[in-house]
Amino acid sequence: MIDHLRYQTLKPAKVSYALVLLMCTSLALLGAYSASTMEQAGHIITGMDNHTVWGLPHVFAVALIVTASGALNGATLASVFDFSHYKPIARFTVVFAISLLVGGLVVLILDLGRPDRLIIAMTHYNFRSIFSWNIILYTGFILVCVCYLSVMMEKRFHHHITVVGRIAFVWRLVLTTGTGCIFGFLVGRNMFDSFLLIPLFIALSLVMGLCALAMIMAMLERWNATLLSDELLHSMCTLLMLFSLTLLCLSIVHYMLNLYVPSYSQNQQPALSGIYSSMFWIGYVLAGVAMPLFVLIKRPFATATQRLIISSIFAFIGCLVLLYVVIVGAQSTPKVLFPGKTIIISRFGDASIPVYSPTLWEWGLSAGGSAVAVLLCLVILRVLPLLPEPQK
Amino acid sequence: MYTASSKPTKSQTARRHFLKRLGVLGVVSAAAPVLLSVARGADKKSTGIKSDAVSSKHRWGLLIDTSKCASGCDACVRGCHAEHGISSTGNDHTDAQWIRKIDLQDNLTGTLSSLPMMCQHCKTAPCVDVCPTGASFKRADGIVLVNKHTCIGCRYCVLACPYKARSFIHEPITDQQSWAPRGKGTVESCTLCVHRVDAEEDQQPACAVACTNEAHSAILFGDLNDAESEISLAIEQGQAHEVRSDLHLNTGVRYIDL
Amino acid sequence: MLVFVLSWSGVVEFGFAGDTKTPVIPKGKGDHCVAETDYMRRNHMDLLVHQRDETVIRGIRDEPFSLVECVDCHVQRDAENTPIRVDAKEQFCESCHAFVAVKIDCFGCHAAVPDVASVENAGRAHEYESAENNSARNIQWIPHKQLLSFKQENMVSQKKTYYRNHNVHSLIKTN
Repeated sequence: MIDHLRYQTLKPAKVSYALVLLMCTSLALLGAYSASTMEQAGHIITGMDNHTVWGLPHVFAVALIVTASGALNGATLASVFDFSHYKPIARFTVVFAISLLVGGLVVLILDLGRPDRLIIAMTHYNFRSIFSWNIILYTGFILVCVCYLSVMMEKRFHHHITVVGRIAFVWRLVLTTGTGCIFGFLVGRNMFDSFLLIPLFIALSLVMGLCALAMIMAMLERWNATLLSDELLHSMCTLLMLFSLTLLCLSIVHYMLNLYVPSYSQNQQPALSGIYSSMFWIGYVLAGVAMPLFVLIKRPFATATQRLIISSIFAFIGCLVLLYVVIVGAQSTPKVLFPGKTIIISRFGDASIPVYSPTLWEWGLSAGGSAVAVLLCLVILRVLPLLPEPQK
Repeated sequence: MYTASSKPTKSQTARRHFLKRLGVLGVVSAAAPVLLSVARGADKKSTGIKSDAVSSKHRWGLLIDTSKCASGCDACVRGCHAEHGISSTGNDHTDAQWIRKIDLQDNLTGTLSSLPMMCQHCKTAPCVDVCPTGASFKRADGIVLVNKHTCIGCRYCVLACPYKARSFIHEPITDQQSWAPRGKGTVESCTLCVHRVDAEEDQQPACAVACTNEAHSAILFGDLNDAESEISLAIEQGQAHEVRSDLHLNTGVRYIDL
Repeated sequence: MLVFVLSWSGVVEFGFAGDTKTPVIPKGKGDHCVAETDYMRRNHMDLLVHQRDETVIRGIRDEPFSLVECVDCHVQRDAENTPIRVDAKEQFCESCHAFVAVKIDCFGCHAAVPDVASVENAGRAHEYESAENNSARNIQWIPHKQLLSFKQENMVSQKKTYYRNHNVHSLIKTN
């Protein structure tokens, strides 16, 4: 692989860059404030309780983590699958993936009941727990990414790119599988207990990673980078359609299956007809899949860039909504403890459907983590030459 | 830097001294607890306190006779809460729920029944499997506990428990009982009154005591491993069920007449 | 941990010349602690960590280094004989920990004042059983009817009032 591309740092001379930095910093500060308030007062100030134990922060954390693994695709498409038009964005993609993962971990850690005990999470491992394996997968992902970036940046190591790229590709698949497993093996919760969540999470990561890449590249384009070549645009549009349809298919099958397994169908179906159905049908199916597909196929906008960005924004938000329905919605189904019997009285609401509404603190923490991801990426791009120089 | 035969400089000597002292300190602090406990062993022996580590010889469990359990009675819940210093804040969804009463109606016959639901002390507990730090663990004698010293408050066990028996503590707590440490940001559940079980033979958990005091005697505590124990005999005679037996968790809490 | 130990050696051996206020250490009960003062200063945290694992995981509750015992001996009382939390300002634990700037992680969960005797005190029944004075066996239980009449919201404080009124306090420690 001969690298004739020259790379440069991000050299923004525009006010918009400062504005984005300012916005991200203030959001990150808001996140820090939310986290410290949550730690002082306890989780009582959030909307989460003993029914809905994982709420908005987990939706965002999982979203950022799967987005990170999906975003790495930009690099692996170039070095593993030899799509040369992805080559110019390979370096920056790796950094973006690292930043997203860090952002996700920040949210995850700060939402713990005892974030001050992070060191315990790092030193005590229960290898029967898929969560433990995920901690290793996440730190390993960062390590692999750093290796990947260094072989790409150092000419002497260029011949290793394919090997390291393959490792990175496998690692990110395993990571998303691991994330899916966190939810897929919960015997206690019917709406989670499904192997389908694993391919669902992989598809989710592909869509979200691609959308996030498109969005940040559009932002960088406004400053000094030329990233979106015609070939790349075309390829990304096609991939987005493909990934979106796969995800739609998997999510519909996931929920339909729940409808047909007899012991599950007694459950109220939160996504298809229950309290989260409007989110699922309008937020995800309509806005998150139908809308982007319409934009990409019918082409109501003049330029391909516009089409990609608009559809990416819709698809990304749609995926967030889907994750919310998957994670929070599944916790809203009452557990069937006594088949053949109806629970009449319980002080803990065993028969009722728990309602969850996130508070300002959860929004603050979630937004803070996302802002940390963008901020970190922009800072690294400012320091290291990772963006392709415009070709004359 | 490295020279063959130079005298150590003043700073090197000082550093060596320092390191030596550190080493001594380390050895002392490693050995001292052992020595101390040996030394103190002598005068502790005389007090007759059970000092053996728990073993898998026993497996503690509960048998709940739902036909004896009265609807509307929550003596077990109050007994448990008093024992562990659990006070209500008024929000049932964020309060600790170590034990709760559930009233049921059979869909076919319309028969009403009532029972307490708490940690089922499963042999293959999902909460133990999922805990990333191993804080959620099963003692040798089958009691499932949370080691609050290593619990990071991730709530994965709360999500994984099929019985909703785990509670996350949402608010700071003061006024704990000395034998029942509980605090904000960690997860907790029924301990089968482990402090009572450890203290002496023939101790009953607070819920069982409360139920007996109320003259219901619906909760029986005992050793499931001992074939001669009252609880084992009762399980053998009656139709004892596991809740969600489809999950094959081999629960330590069984129900009669469910 | 190392930093902590070093900072202590600093305090003990060389003394701090700075303007930092030295900790006020109230005297505990009895003549001496479970180990020598010097040793306890440096190693109490290791002893407690060792003990906590033994107790929580292996169920061994007769080791001498229990936090409950620490609190029992080192607690101070105010003018009305009400115990003051050991982690309150200028109390036994806090005064040193504030001085060396180490956060105490014990009393978020553990009781920072000693127990009053109670019907639920069975967890510490060995204390009564083993006490030399046999009268300690006659623990005054709260009658169950009485217990039921207590309101859920302030169960703990009501129980404490009950014990105080019935003077159960004196039964706990026989020495």
